[in-house]
Amino acid sequence: MPGMVFLPGFLLLALLLQVTVVDLIRIRGVVPDLVFILVVFYAFWKGQREGTFWGFVAGLLEDLVSGHYWGLNAISMAAAGYLVGWFETRLYKESRLVMMVLTFLATVAGQLIYYLLLFYLQVVISPGVALTGVILPAAAYNALLSALIYRRFYRMYLRGWFRMSRL
Amino acid sequence: MGKRLFFLVILLVVALYVMRVTAHGRVEVPPLGNTLVDAFATVEQAVTRAGRLARDVLTFPFSLVRASQRAQELSERVDLLESELQQVREYQLENERLKRLLDFQSGPAASSHLELAAAAVIGRDPGSWFSTITINKGRAQGIKTNMTVITPRGLVGRVISTTSQTATVLLITDPRSAVSALVQDSRTPGMVEGMAGGAGNLHMIHIPNDMPVKAGQVVVTSGTSRSIFIKGIPVGEIVSVKRDPTGLFFEAVVRPFVDFNRLEEVLVVTGVRSPAL
Repeated sequence: MPGMVFLPGFLLLALLLQVTVVDLIRIRGVVPDLVFILVVFYAFWKGQREGTFWGFVAGLLEDLVSGHYWGLNAISMAAAGYLVGWFETRLYKESRLVMMVLTFLATVAGQLIYYLLLFYLQVVISPGVALTGVILPAAAYNALLSALIYRRFYRMYLRGWFRMSRL
Repeated sequence: MGKRLFFLVILLVVALYVMRVTAHGRVEVPPLGNTLVDAFATVEQAVTRAGRLARDVLTFPFSLVRASQRAQELSERVDLLESELQQVREYQLENERLKRLLDFQSGPAASSHLELAAAAVIGRDPGSWFSTITINKGRAQGIKTNMTVITPRGLVGRVISTTSQTATVLLITDPRSAVSALVQDSRTPGMVEGMAGGAGNLHMIHIPNDMPVKAGQVVVTSGTSRSIFIKGIPVGEIVSVKRDPTGLFFEAVVRPFVDFNRLEEVLVVTGVRSPAL
């Protein structure tokens, strides 16, 4: 089960890069989310159940590191993982373009849930600012980055790097 | 199926509850979080340094091209500032004389007698919604919640949580941040709020109708008795002004003096000394 080592390993590495160097490529306050992109990849390969589970775990890791609102990223990433997992048997896994569109949609969905949870947490941000200032730019940024790195990860997946026993 | 749904609902309810209680300002970071953050901080610091080094190396050729033009601009600016400095020295001496006459113990002048602790920025919030940074000084170095954080250019934010070796700082660009502020020359009050996303500008709201402000004016912290922030710290410069949707107030876009995209070191205000008169 190399997946039990590589997936958490990659998630931790992505998280470390996320809080340190990803900040250097911040554009107008928006950064791509490496952890989220990995969750999208994995959910697309393995389906809804794994997507939801690892989305929750990865999101919770991000929450622990950011030190506030534990569960905020966990719920939104689990939901995104669930959504992407639905496409597992419905779309071609080889295509970079498919992955790009899927990452865009997953980010929009995940960030919309995040935005709704912010209301629950009494952090009020106007819908216009949220959509044009964060959600859509973040989705575009994630989609672009996922297209750039997808092939490499897909080759690793084909070689069995992420194989593990079903949950 | 029913069992799984039941489990999911329970998990969701627990997650929603935990989310609420771990919000900043409600409870201290739980002990488990403390240990994790501290353990992570060392690695974070090393990777952040490596990342900055890589950026500097990559952007070096570009910076050379701009450097000579910048040198010319700066030398002109130095001349201008030197003449202004002379004038300021005059004012300073006059101010000190007048202060002695008035026995003036508090006010913006006191803010120049700050006790500061320098700290390096070792991490940043992983998402795009919030603007917080992690610094490499914590409770062990005397950092406490609500301390004001600045750079020599101006206001950065305030400490919202601490562990023994690190502290989290809520930047003034965060949508949860609100700073009671004044326009420096006209003393017009207002509230400076952060915005999610965007170019990192701030919003100054609740500017009274009868005290309009204009672009180019400088905004400083007001330091009123209820404010967490120290008085007289520069926040930014007004870029544009318009009426707010209710028509009762004006609101302004403020460009912060601090470059939040290149925040590497900050100063935490650990205390204020009374100026020796």
